[in-house]
Amino acid sequence: MSLTLCSEALSGCSGCEMSLLNAGGSSLSLLGRFDIVHMPILMDHKYFDSGGGSQEIHIPKARLGLISGGVRNAQQLRIAEKMRRQCDTIVAFGTCAAYGGIPAMMNLFEDEDLFRRYYRSAEGTDAALDPSQVIPPFLERTFALDEKIAVDFILPGCPPHPDFIASALESILEGKSPQLPLVSVCDSCPTKREGKGSAQRIRRFVKNARYQPDKPISEMRCLLDQGFLCMGPVTLAGCAGMNGGPPRCIEARVPCRGCHGPVRRGGNQIMDILNALVSNGIDTKNLADRLSLLRFSGAHGRLNRRCVQKAD
Amino acid sequence: MSDIYPGFEPKILAFTCNWCSYAAADLAGTARIQYPANLRIIRVMCSVMVHPNLVIEAFECGADGVLLMGCHPGECYYQDGNQKAKARSVAIEEVLSLMGIELERFRLVWCSSAEAEGFACLVRETDEALRVIGPSKYRKDASKYSKSELIQCL
Amino acid sequence: MRQTVAESASASAREITIEPVTRIEGHARIGIRLDERGDVAEARVHIMSMRGFEKFIEGRAAEEVPGIVTRICGICPWQHHLASNKAVDGCFGSEVPPAGRLLRELTQVLAHISDKVLHFFFLAGPDFFVDSQQCAAGNIMTIAAQAPELAKRVIEMRYRGQMMLEKFAGRSIHPDAIVPGGFSKPMSRLEREQLHADALDQLEFARFALDFAKERVFSRFDAGLMQLGDIRTGFLGMVNPEDGSLELSEGILRLMRLDGSFHEFSGREYTDFIAEHVEPWSYAKFPYARGWDEGFSMQLDDPRGIYRTNCLARINVADFIRTPLAQAELLEFRSLFGRPAQSTMLYHWARLIELLYACEKVIELLEDPAITDQQVRSDVVPKAGRGVGCVEAPRGTLIHDYSTDEDGFITRANLIVGTTHNLAPINMSVNRVARDLIKNGEVTREALNRIEMAVRAYDP
Repeated sequence: MSLTLCSEALSGCSGCEMSLLNAGGSSLSLLGRFDIVHMPILMDHKYFDSGGGSQEIHIPKARLGLISGGVRNAQQLRIAEKMRRQCDTIVAFGTCAAYGGIPAMMNLFEDEDLFRRYYRSAEGTDAALDPSQVIPPFLERTFALDEKIAVDFILPGCPPHPDFIASALESILEGKSPQLPLVSVCDSCPTKREGKGSAQRIRRFVKNARYQPDKPISEMRCLLDQGFLCMGPVTLAGCAGMNGGPPRCIEARVPCRGCHGPVRRGGNQIMDILNALVSNGIDTKNLADRLSLLRFSGAHGRLNRRCVQKAD
Repeated sequence: MSDIYPGFEPKILAFTCNWCSYAAADLAGTARIQYPANLRIIRVMCSVMVHPNLVIEAFECGADGVLLMGCHPGECYYQDGNQKAKARSVAIEEVLSLMGIELERFRLVWCSSAEAEGFACLVRETDEALRVIGPSKYRKDASKYSKSELIQCL
Repeated sequence: MRQTVAESASASAREITIEPVTRIEGHARIGIRLDERGDVAEARVHIMSMRGFEKFIEGRAAEEVPGIVTRICGICPWQHHLASNKAVDGCFGSEVPPAGRLLRELTQVLAHISDKVLHFFFLAGPDFFVDSQQCAAGNIMTIAAQAPELAKRVIEMRYRGQMMLEKFAGRSIHPDAIVPGGFSKPMSRLEREQLHADALDQLEFARFALDFAKERVFSRFDAGLMQLGDIRTGFLGMVNPEDGSLELSEGILRLMRLDGSFHEFSGREYTDFIAEHVEPWSYAKFPYARGWDEGFSMQLDDPRGIYRTNCLARINVADFIRTPLAQAELLEFRSLFGRPAQSTMLYHWARLIELLYACEKVIELLEDPAITDQQVRSDVVPKAGRGVGCVEAPRGTLIHDYSTDEDGFITRANLIVGTTHNLAPINMSVNRVARDLIKNGEVTREALNRIEMAVRAYDP
């Protein structure tokens, strides 16, 4: 039995949709179990009857609505509200929809500063007034989806691993609630940990981690132990998929930056990581660029214009 | 009483350890020692129970000041909870400064159950200091308050 | 009140809106205004959103930025990742060891492959493969129903292309394996063997794709399609500085004029040749060739400063292609269409030639013995500086221009994203198609789809 599916992308990047395409592995059989009624990146359903007439955005009714991206402008808000009215179940698909994601870093700045930079002072740009015709105005900041509409489930990840997308869609097809993990990235990380207190200070990632290239990743010492800031302890697990692989950034020998958002909804990734570091006796004073620890979860007011950049 | 921000009544939240500051507050009450009424108390069993997230959340909700009160060093009912709270307060202060919140709004203080007058004095001092600093930018009604014209002219 | 077509044509100006423009990456709206006769007075492509990356990376530690700017695009994150790393290297003065260079180029060129497969078969393809009666209802699912064997192969090859990156570099979407100073991990011999085997399969598929397309799609390009959105422009693309051959990763930029003459410049000099124009009806800006000293205009009868990027542009500006199969295809293409080829629909053909090149190049890189060297990253010291990182993304020439302070934090950034170079040409192509196909107030579904087909050729 197929389920109607409606999918929209707001202030995001299409990465979640690409991961969705990977969710069937070598086939689109998973996606094929849905009757897709609206999905701009793949098919041609339009908002308006093109011949003029109503300017009311048309979104068809659907059992499942997937929305990726945060809410940045007035049109995206209308689309989100319309999706909520037309879809029985709304899933905030990806970290941008769940927590604001990278685009919510803009919440640190005033829009006027952006426009001034982009339309008047950028190198090589012929200075001009801010565009304002036809295009939708910005809202006062970038919002996560649940700040504007009621959301039934969140599926965080930047992008969510195809295994989790598949698992969530399977659950919904069976009429069940998708289950997110309840643990942090460290839970699926096979690196060697040698107890608290071994690192003294945090270094910037300007030099590769120490490991033997010909040995498996389980022989590598935990990156936090090595003195690199790794957001693993304060980030929701899932990036490794469901087949027992290591977290993907760790697999590349690069520290985690928290792209699945906090372990629990409402978690504050920067407070949690600083707390974890000081509890282990690590001096956090020389930690560079602390604000970017909220790069994935800057909605819900976490990143805002009152924040102070580059604390010394 | 300073009136730098006319009409401004600071909202102060105090996390008080059951064994010291909560008892001190209780004692102040029975001894009828006066302290500002704009204090809200949350009792916890130890200062270490207060996760830094709770302090941040209090500020995000619009508290003008937050007090975290624990036992004097060496006197923690659970051995070293207060020491851990002290370590964490470093992280709290870092996040507050990133959030653009004045560090004077958050205080970690030690107290004992006998210090009723000490407790009241602390609260009075905090209240007075906040009246000078002014309302938190995170208060929902922050825009209502402005510095009095007399002070601005000085 | 019911209106006939004739009545509505005689009524005052009418607006036609196509939104969202589907089967592209990004949010666009096409607005067409008809005059009293029902002919096209104006057609515009409005880019409806903007996130502000240039602004919000200010104040960030520069080595963190390559992991942030991948989120500009989930289809081509490797391009932003590499361009950003190159810009940071420029700021910090870092040198990249040879194996690091090879791995960077490998991953970036590899990323071109699944992107092109996605575009030709999933995004643009439905316009060509699906029964023309249903042209406005076509999508990859329809192809899967009408041509299941083809669909299966396409889906599998795209997926395997993504997994090649994932197996080696941890993530295919939003990578972080390229780092200032080089790459985060070396490639083992086993990984190289596995990737080599996969790359041979991708090459075979690329050959199939081109043969298939020539037989089933390009051979049916009638005059109508060849002139769809017909405009005459210059072209911008990267070439190898030594021999002028096609280059996607490390090269110089060549800006070709209508008459075939060109300027060459390094990434750092881009502002001498490229400027950006602002229109009040689009969030995105319009790059144009300031180096030609003719200003900027999108008027169909008097275009000024207009050039295109992306695959057709790249194969136009390149003197030749170093890899043999792609070069043979290029020679055939040029014998048919000359150089530079202007027809917009030829983007699809050029894209598949580039797909072939990308596959051959990946194999060549994997066969370089230095690629498994263990020294892949030099240490990097954050400092003040300026760097411009330039690569060819599938959509066009990508430029990341950063400056840092003495602590190595970004003070200023300017980005020209590949697709934006084509915004003025896209507007012009849309105008051209609209004027050709909409007259006397008659607007057919097929005409509207053709307008979108002109947009899709650019893979915006």
